[in-house]
Amino acid sequence: MITVIDHKEPQKAKPSEKFLTPKKLYLPLSQHTGKPSNPCVKISDLVQEAQLIAKADGYISSNLHAPVSGKIAAVERYNHPVLQSAEAIVLEPSGTNKEYLFSEPAKSLKKEELLEIIAQAGIVGMGGAAFPSQVKLKPPKKIITLIINGCECEPYLTCDHRLMLENLKEIFLGIEIICRIIEPSKVIFAIEENKPDVIKQLNLYVNTKKFNLPALETVILPHEYPQGSEKQLIYNTTNRKVPGGKLPLDVGCLVHNVATCFAIYQAVYYSKPLIERLVSFCGEALTSPKNIWVKIGTSLRELFEQKILELDCEPAKIISGGPLMGIALTDLDYPILKSTGGFLFLKPSPDPVSEQPCLKCARCVDNCPMGLLPLEYVRQVKRENYESLTGYNINDCIECGCCTYGCPAKISLVHYIKIGKGYVPKSN
Amino acid sequence: MSLKVTSSPHIFSSVNTRQLMFGVLIGLIPVAFASLYFFGIRALTLILNCLITSLISERIISWLRKKPSTLSDGSAVVTGLLLALILPPSTAWYAATLGSVFAIFIGKHIFGGLGANIFNPALIARAFLMAAYPKMLTTFIKPRTIDAVTSATPLVLKKFSQTSTGIRDLFLGNVSGSLGETSALCILIGSVYLLARKIIDWRIPLSLILTVAVISGTGVLLDPAKGSVLFHLLSGGVLLGAFFMATDPVTTPVTKKGRYIFGIACGCLIMVIRYFSGLPEGVMYSILFLNAFTPLINRYTKPKPFGR
Repeated sequence: MITVIDHKEPQKAKPSEKFLTPKKLYLPLSQHTGKPSNPCVKISDLVQEAQLIAKADGYISSNLHAPVSGKIAAVERYNHPVLQSAEAIVLEPSGTNKEYLFSEPAKSLKKEELLEIIAQAGIVGMGGAAFPSQVKLKPPKKIITLIINGCECEPYLTCDHRLMLENLKEIFLGIEIICRIIEPSKVIFAIEENKPDVIKQLNLYVNTKKFNLPALETVILPHEYPQGSEKQLIYNTTNRKVPGGKLPLDVGCLVHNVATCFAIYQAVYYSKPLIERLVSFCGEALTSPKNIWVKIGTSLRELFEQKILELDCEPAKIISGGPLMGIALTDLDYPILKSTGGFLFLKPSPDPVSEQPCLKCARCVDNCPMGLLPLEYVRQVKRENYESLTGYNINDCIECGCCTYGCPAKISLVHYIKIGKGYVPKSN
Repeated sequence: MSLKVTSSPHIFSSVNTRQLMFGVLIGLIPVAFASLYFFGIRALTLILNCLITSLISERIISWLRKKPSTLSDGSAVVTGLLLALILPPSTAWYAATLGSVFAIFIGKHIFGGLGANIFNPALIARAFLMAAYPKMLTTFIKPRTIDAVTSATPLVLKKFSQTSTGIRDLFLGNVSGSLGETSALCILIGSVYLLARKIIDWRIPLSLILTVAVISGTGVLLDPAKGSVLFHLLSGGVLLGAFFMATDPVTTPVTKKGRYIFGIACGCLIMVIRYFSGLPEGVMYSILFLNAFTPLINRYTKPKPFGR
């Protein structure tokens, strides 16, 4: 674990804004872990907002809906932050935004019916992994503890923070739904200490028992990175260690991000599929960093063309995601995905240092939250001695970036680890 | 727009190699001052000699190896200063020069340069000089004298003539010995700085010092003539070795368990040499010996990954 300057000012203090009228949307069919969805519309079809445009293909897959009413312009390859390029539905909006009506879900709704609503709404884990929620909510084992992840440990990003501050009640209604489905005996709301404004509200909810939840506990964690990483979070809140190669459900836990809970609330209370999300736009190269509600599929370039965002100076790097695990982009032509938490516009660093010899100072070993020997991966990959990597448990690496962050020799350890992983079979 | 595309992460801590080396130099300032105070002009010329020779050697070797200059990483300065501080004040200039060349050429660059050496360059150079000039390297002078009045070190006095040295003199450094080894006080001041700035890890110094304390404590109980715990900790090179030599990251284990093993084994070896060998002191050989075992220690103390 490392302590990083959080760089969350000024965006965390600003109320979120909205930009829901894009001119063109690029909707990759693969915005989730699993098989890409299957388009169920044709080119030049007219679609309504919230209409299904691509169906889940198989068990681990997810539905995709039209974020706005409009015309299907194309189905073609487009830039994708994770896959570089992928098949996407191009939608040209026309007409007005849809109104969604609030309706309290009937108490009689069964688990399966709730699950079906979530599956239909195309909800995926919005913390970054984008795992289809309906699959995660159907665990083959009994879940004892539901952990709600409100850590947001990556520096700069504040979309979860703003969401919790502005929509905590709705998040809790979403948690209620999850509890109705998986019936845990305990709910832990995990949050980092750097969000005192949210913690205050949380305490109010915990004390007043406003919501129909089993034992609810708020756990305030120190501001450390990667506090929000699933295995670390489970350990730091329940003292249970997820064994290597196993899943949280193997220790009776399930972790859901706050934004996912909000999406579940909207699906159940408003019949609104996952077509919008709150995204952080931050970094020193922006004149005014902020959080904006955007339609899924909005391209980064459009936000600049429409003067929603402005550059203060030429950025040296644009990153999809946080500064420690995010992916560097080549230009502005990238769409916002269901799992995109933010974009980062970094100024050039004053003195970029090239890689120096490893001093074996073991700061990477001390920083590694998985208890690995990161420097060994670099040594073995440089020697092309890939067979030895399994012995050093390279697949346990979560690529959190703590090793590279603290390296005095400025060695890009994660880079070598990614190369190494390519040569090692996935099995554990 | 020309964007840089690299693997994550995209932000970095400010710590860098040069800063770490510079930190060690700051930690050595009190020690260097003590050596100037106790050994005057001899200390000054030795330190300058070793520093300049190390820097010139470092420059020449990068030229010979057709590599960019490595002067700016600061490691040659650290090696030069450390070597000076573990030499007797009366060391001849040519021996110090030769030692510095040896430290940089053979100690470091023959293995591939910074980070690749097996042995601590300053210590291996001292071991080399010990073999080349055994008499010179075991002759010490009294502190704070203008003429070179030969005098035995506290460890020699203890071992061969059963004479004890006052703890106060040992602590302040008013005894004969190598330039930077005499003043425990100044070494501790420098060490506190290194520990506070997290430039060195505490595991090796702590386990080494505790081991020496436990063994010498047991020893003095069995035979009061063996010297007290404080005597063994404050005399010779234990403190300088523990905080400045056994913490050299390049030549010591990377695993936490390995660091304890290194420290304990080193402490044991020091006491074995002091008690049972023909030599009065064994810090240098102990650390060098353990340096050789570092890869092996690393291999057998692999940490258990989280959840396995």
